[in-house]
Amino acid sequence: MNPLTRALLEVQEAALMTGRAFRGTFSRPYYFREVIVQMDLIGYGSMAIIILTGAFTGAVLALQSSSALMTFGAQSKTGQLVMTSLVRELGPVLASLMLAGRVGSGIAAEIGSMVVSEQVDAMRALGTDPLRKLVFPRIVTLLLMCPILTLVADMIGSFGGWVVATSLMHVASSVYISSAKVALTYNDIIGGMIKPAVFGFIIAVVGCRAGLRTYGGTVGVGRSTTQAVVMSDILILASDFFLSKIILAFS
Amino acid sequence: MLDQTINAIELSDITLTYDDRIILDQVSFAVRPGETKILMGGSGTGKSTVLKLVLGLIKPDAGRIRIDGEDITDFSERELAVVRRKIGMVFQEGALFDSLSVYQNVGYRLFEQGMDEDQIREEVRQKLQFVNLEHAIDMMPAELSGGMRRRVGIARALVGNPRLILYDEPTAGLDPPTARTICELAMELRDLQSVSSIFVTHRMGDARLMSSAYFTLNDYGEPIYKREDDTLCLINTQFIMLKDGRVIFSGTDETLWDIDDPYIQNFLREV
Repeated sequence: MNPLTRALLEVQEAALMTGRAFRGTFSRPYYFREVIVQMDLIGYGSMAIIILTGAFTGAVLALQSSSALMTFGAQSKTGQLVMTSLVRELGPVLASLMLAGRVGSGIAAEIGSMVVSEQVDAMRALGTDPLRKLVFPRIVTLLLMCPILTLVADMIGSFGGWVVATSLMHVASSVYISSAKVALTYNDIIGGMIKPAVFGFIIAVVGCRAGLRTYGGTVGVGRSTTQAVVMSDILILASDFFLSKIILAFS
Repeated sequence: MLDQTINAIELSDITLTYDDRIILDQVSFAVRPGETKILMGGSGTGKSTVLKLVLGLIKPDAGRIRIDGEDITDFSERELAVVRRKIGMVFQEGALFDSLSVYQNVGYRLFEQGMDEDQIREEVRQKLQFVNLEHAIDMMPAELSGGMRRRVGIARALVGNPRLILYDEPTAGLDPPTARTICELAMELRDLQSVSSIFVTHRMGDARLMSSAYFTLNDYGEPIYKREDDTLCLINTQFIMLKDGRVIFSGTDETLWDIDDPYIQNFLREV
């Protein structure tokens, strides 16, 4: 089978998996408890990594942009540059890449292990649809938690930028804050929330699909985990370009 | 009450291929109510695949599968879920859910059905008592030995009292006494509860035990173990031998010993 056909087949399988998982929302049994558990594991569990990512991204943005802006005597625009970069691009993309590494790999490894140890078959044998029990809660969780975590990363990032700008680059606090406020438009905020929702969906679907097609024992689990992270990262970066284009067209 | 006229399982001309490789080739056999079919063959001959087909976990390329006379070959996942309630499956390594306790594993089917917690605990306790693991009810799968995992797997398969149980190499990798315990549990279900089953194994010793010994009740209603003798010949246990996805033997243990096929003789040499 040539790579293009294989890629198309994979897209088809992922679409069928997602469709079947969501069909479960309209009939019993419901797995809302699983969604809550996943929200705790994925959302709350990823908070530390997101806070650190946001803080250092904001800090380094302030450091770099302030130095560059100083050349043009526009250091007062540091807050504007930090906020625009964070909310539009770096917040959603970096938070999602970190989540792909932490959560996407975890999903692929967990489901992959269940597949190779026949737990998924056992689940089906006991009358449970694994797509509803395993896939649906993870997709819903990432659809909701990825934007929330991005929001946290944005807020912490702007704070990190403020700390560096005011303490190291000697930008006045009021100047930084007012320039940051001016920078943001509603379109930026909405676009900054749509992107992580799409990225979260990608992380969940790719992770679940990689897990479910695992074969070949523990080696297979490792392979699926790597594939999930690599594929999620590529799809996040590629879709970011197209989403930016669409959002810019609308604004 | 079992309908003795309808086969519990019936496979007709089942063919399955994967990536141009033939896994099963025109496989046909039936399991009568209360009968145990011991499915034997080397690794990769399609034994576990047969069980997955019976459960509807995979679909055949050709042929029909009937459970209690009902053709399930083209059933949807939703329809299969109803059929699977009649079937218990014991997986090779137990396939216990790692994140759930023994209690949650055994009662899994009942939790999914939304049954009352007190009823679930009672049912789980009964099933664990049958496999002599009542004390392990609150343990996690990681704390169990290989034999205990298989026995918990059997207890989980018994929840809902299925009339049909599929065993996928339940004794593989176990020491002989533990393997014997597992076989005796399967024999008790066969002889005292008339459960139909397919018992996949490549250990001739297990197969020999199951086809030559049985359980009956003594005067106090307690199960006692007996061996086949000159006055009694077990007819509720038969053999099927698979080779390269084809059935090369189907019949009783007595006829199996007389077969001159070198492949079969290789298996018999183990005993």
